[in-house]
Amino acid sequence: MRFWQQALEIARVDLTVEQRVGSTLRITLPFAVVALIVFPLALGLQLGVVSAIGIGVYWALGILFGMQVALRQSATDSRDRRDLHTLLGVDPAARFAGRVISGGVLMIGFLLVLLGAMTVLFDPSLPEGVWPVLLLSTLLVAIGLTELATLAGEVTSGLSNRTVLASLIVAPLALPLIIGASQSVGALERDTSILPWILLLIASDLALAVAGVGLAQPLEEATR
Amino acid sequence: MTRVRVLMSLAAVAVGIGLWFALTAPPDALQGEYARLLGIHPPSMWVAFLAFGVTAFGSIMWLIKKTERWDRLASASVEVGVIFTAIGLFTGMVWGQAVWGTPWDWQDPRLMSTLVMFFVYLGYIALRNAVDDPIVRARRSAILGAIAVVQVPLVYFSVNLFRTLHQTQSIRPDGSTMPDEMLLAMGVNMVAFTILYVALVVARIDVAKVEAENATEGAVAGEAVRPPRLNEVEDV
Amino acid sequence: MSGGRETRRVEPVALFDRAGVSLGGRPVLRGVDLSLAPGEVVGISGPNGSGKTTLIRTAATLTSPDHGSVTVLGRDSRDRDLLTTRRSIGLIGHSPGLIGELTLGENLDHVARLAGIERVRVGRALDVVGLSEVAGRRADASSFGMRRRVEIARLLLTKPRLLLLDEAASGLDEAARQLIDALVESVCARGGACIVASHDQAHLEGLCTRLASLSGGSLEEATA
Repeated sequence: MRFWQQALEIARVDLTVEQRVGSTLRITLPFAVVALIVFPLALGLQLGVVSAIGIGVYWALGILFGMQVALRQSATDSRDRRDLHTLLGVDPAARFAGRVISGGVLMIGFLLVLLGAMTVLFDPSLPEGVWPVLLLSTLLVAIGLTELATLAGEVTSGLSNRTVLASLIVAPLALPLIIGASQSVGALERDTSILPWILLLIASDLALAVAGVGLAQPLEEATR
Repeated sequence: MTRVRVLMSLAAVAVGIGLWFALTAPPDALQGEYARLLGIHPPSMWVAFLAFGVTAFGSIMWLIKKTERWDRLASASVEVGVIFTAIGLFTGMVWGQAVWGTPWDWQDPRLMSTLVMFFVYLGYIALRNAVDDPIVRARRSAILGAIAVVQVPLVYFSVNLFRTLHQTQSIRPDGSTMPDEMLLAMGVNMVAFTILYVALVVARIDVAKVEAENATEGAVAGEAVRPPRLNEVEDV
Repeated sequence: MSGGRETRRVEPVALFDRAGVSLGGRPVLRGVDLSLAPGEVVGISGPNGSGKTTLIRTAATLTSPDHGSVTVLGRDSRDRDLLTTRRSIGLIGHSPGLIGELTLGENLDHVARLAGIERVRVGRALDVVGLSEVAGRRADASSFGMRRRVEIARLLLTKPRLLLLDEAASGLDEAARQLIDALVESVCARGGACIVASHDQAHLEGLCTRLASLSGGSLEEATA
């Protein structure tokens, strides 16, 4: 129980700080929506093409900008704070879980808003029954991406070029998430089973959760 | 350094023999002269995966044992591995363009895994360069190595799944038209490149040991801070 | 002859046994021997860069020795599971590890939740340190002295057995300094011990039961 109490407390404070001064709603989200607008203009407003690539653009921007949500400055701890957590007996795995919870909440909100904006701006051609699949894969991508970015953020914490370096680490390793997410909708278009893709996303999320919890202690020692 | 010289000499001889076979074999009926890349591309890709595996192993062993040699092994393997990965990717693109008409196959799980590995290597090297403290550097690198062990197989699996369920097959060169000399060249260079990899890793580890020894010379912290020259303050 | 009385061996609160610590590959502490009995307050002085902070962090089990050993509250500092030991260690470092976007009261409340301390004690602790009127002020809008007092309040809540102060009184007014002295006395009265690192020789002489200095990485105790 103590584990979850600590994790939820860390998540609660993270979200409080984000709500007061955070960059997700004020900066990252508007920037991502601006990036959405760039695509149709760059394609010369060929609306047929824009409509066809809408979902793909959503996933691409969701992953790239979503990373920045998880790597936000407000989720980083100074050395003094880390020392304090260590001396208070905060379980490193609980800290990882707490960060993933708060990051996941922000990520889900971010992706849902981005999805809405994309739907309005791109008028994508969507297969029947797509919305439950889109929402489920959005949820799973949010969890996996948050886990991966939290790990990368911890590995690079305290380094001067942390955000860029962490993004370099996250981007290639997020490939299973991109494939699983895009193909879950693609499967609907091809009238094939979405199950393998959803299972791929679930497997990725679980593997990263295990890695995060398993590596929490060495990560804490590495960043002292 | 003797063992490095022996290994390098062995590697030079083996690679020389392999390249000789590759260059003197008759051209392939389908692929023409491009088939000679069999002497470089598959061995490079083999070493790329070997290097990644060794890095992953070294990272996990460091997390368990916390001894320097595992960190040196992991980091040396990455540095050598990134070179072979780049060679493998480049020769693969040249070969692909010549044989398939496209330099890249998005549905090839090995290609995609190799590309991901390449960027993981670059991230690993960038991470090491950003940290001065050797223990902190070893620890963070080992954790990244361990994370990659979890994710890269998933990359392979996900691309393989993509290819399987899409049921579109890339055109592959028919190996049965390969002259035996070419297959021999590939086989010899598999061994030769492996010896070269080992030689380069051992050499890099030796250099890392010397770098570590040089870094620990110098005054104890505190002794390096001299008392200020108070009577010279006005002269600045 | 002892006359039949048993001599009870008192376990030291902290014990450095020929401890050597390197940072960045360079030796910072060399062969440090220090035994801290219950009720003792050891003052450590030394020039900048002499290793005072490293010694404090090593005693806090935040840094492990490369040579020799450090035993804190009966546990080797290199043991894997130091959760219980660390909860009995209190540290005031160079800068307060507060979350700037939270108020002073929220910061203390956060600590209480993480450490599983009854939150009703938070108000009392703020009152004792003189911050109850300003508990609603954000930490990043508060003075250094106020943020230090929150740290002291934290230690009143956690009641450590080993108290480590690293330039804790620097930049504080007289009232806050007296608060720190009272905290030290309180820890010692409960059978704990303290290490105080400071440049302020006068303060050390007034507060400590023993004095030592760091030079060239070695610790030398002052003769009486």
